[in-house]
Amino acid sequence: MKKIIAQGLKYKYPLAETLALNDISFEVEAGEFIGVIGKNSAGKSTLCQAMVGLVPHFYKGAYGGKVLVDGLEVKQHSIADLSLKVGMVFQNPFTQVTGSKMTVYEEIAFGLENIGLPRDEMLKRIDEVLKLLKIEHVKDHNPFDLSGGQLQRMAIAGIIAMKPEILVLDEPTSQLDPAGSDEVFRAIHELSQQGFTVIMAEHKMEKVAQYCNRVLLLDEGKVAAFDTPEKIFSRDDLESYGVTAPVYTRVCRALGVKNAGTDCYPVTLEDAEMALRGVIK
Amino acid sequence: MKSISLYVDRESFVHDVDPITKLIYILFAILVPIILPSFTVSFICVGISLLLILAAGVFRKTLPIFGFVFLVLITVVIIQGLFRPENETVLFQIGPFAMYQEGLHYALKITLRVVNIVGAFMILVLTTKPSHLVESLVRKGMSPRIGYVIVSVFQIIPEMMASMSTITDAQRSRGMETEGNLLVRIKAFLPLLGPVVLGSLINTKERAMALEVRGFNSRTPKTYLNVEKTYAYSKGIQALLLLLIVGAVAWRIFL
Ligand SMILES: Nc1ncnc2c1ncn2[C@@H]1O[C@H](COP(=O)(O)OP(=O)(O)OP(=O)(O)O)[C@@H](O)[C@H]1O
Ligand SMILES: [Mg+2]
Repeated sequence: MKKIIAQGLKYKYPLAETLALNDISFEVEAGEFIGVIGKNSAGKSTLCQAMVGLVPHFYKGAYGGKVLVDGLEVKQHSIADLSLKVGMVFQNPFTQVTGSKMTVYEEIAFGLENIGLPRDEMLKRIDEVLKLLKIEHVKDHNPFDLSGGQLQRMAIAGIIAMKPEILVLDEPTSQLDPAGSDEVFRAIHELSQQGFTVIMAEHKMEKVAQYCNRVLLLDEGKVAAFDTPEKIFSRDDLESYGVTAPVYTRVCRALGVKNAGTDCYPVTLEDAEMALRGVIK
Repeated sequence: MKSISLYVDRESFVHDVDPITKLIYILFAILVPIILPSFTVSFICVGISLLLILAAGVFRKTLPIFGFVFLVLITVVIIQGLFRPENETVLFQIGPFAMYQEGLHYALKITLRVVNIVGAFMILVLTTKPSHLVESLVRKGMSPRIGYVIVSVFQIIPEMMASMSTITDAQRSRGMETEGNLLVRIKAFLPLLGPVVLGSLINTKERAMALEVRGFNSRTPKTYLNVEKTYAYSKGIQALLLLLIVGAVAWRIFL
């Protein structure tokens, strides 16, 4: 089943000269984990925001084409309505704290209160997501006392509790230390395994290669390519899009070692190890 | 975490009373002495507030505030005692200055009124969590957006102060002078405004988006995680207070 369909999506920010998104079309199946990559200002964040309705409802601006998430046309529905289908997590964990709640537990309840969920259901869902994101032990802490990794997991919990089936993440670990970053990636991976459809804009190509089923390569607001990580990172023109392949891919490319029986270079540590062992034997 | 709220966490029946009843009490404490401007009534009202503050176990917390209020009021007493135009009866003489009865009388009236209002507000502020107060008001129909702004200010200002002190520390570690006379302090403070204010502005846009995707502008009626705390006698107390206000008006008109 198609979870996301974008058809000829065009978008220009108010006052901007050029299109931030220029004729974007793609489709995402239920349960897929999609990585969105591209150089700075390629339009990754804008595309993420177009999935949840912030583009165009929050910014206004000129909009063309259409996006369907779980059957809802983004342009025709409010951000609040869309939030039941698709949730979004931002870069900065601090700005996602509402600042109006005293504990992590209450903080997660924020979205549920807004959508008018009955209290019993609320309690059930909060306990569920606390467990899912492994932050039960801090549920009575003040959000501002949490570590970056914990905060970001709390932000994800607050979104997941609203039971969307699609999760959009815009560089969710770019402001975290390596330990916090690992915590968050592990949590996202787990959610993906549980059946969430995940869209993640990310600069860390090793992570994209490790977790994503398919990768959407953006360049100046256009889709340059949409394919498996192996195909994308094996492209010869990758540098011209401002993207550096995962370190494993670069090593194997330098050594001329491809995945057995394919025309692609390995993209993960495991694949690289396997391919290299094959060569040594 | 630091908090700018004055709330004192204690167990007492005053803490248990719901915020709306406390608001009505403030109304009562302000209106009744105005409707019935006799000293006895004012004294009774101040007395009730004091008893409630004592019962709530927050008396010590009121001292600095009352101290400040009295500092202001002393000037009122002196000025009115010496210079009120209606002054006629000399009460006593301090050197070349004469204190008059009319002025002191008037100053006492003002003092009682101010103490009364401050006392009533203090009951609310010291025994009610700001978030609890706002939630009660939202339940009663206040816009959740206004409620959000009020509550978040209580949390975000201490956050801003914390980031301010982080930056100050960073600058001090680079050898910038941040302590000393006023001029040095101001010089150290100004460059902070840039990052802190600009940072907050950028944060505001991001925070607004983060709120949006969590259904902040949803048109569905809100529900609440916290069960509304209702105090068994609050309806009775509210009715009594309103009755007393109406009674005071009637007394004033008919007697
Ligand atoms: N609020 C805005 N108003 C006007 N133009 C904007 C706004 N936000 C982004 N843009 C422009 O839209 C284009 C795409 O920006 P976007 O933030 O989507 O890029 P990105 O791929 O997320 O970049 P980064 O890797 O830096 O996060 C850029 O040219 C940017 O300058
Ligand atoms: Mg971005």
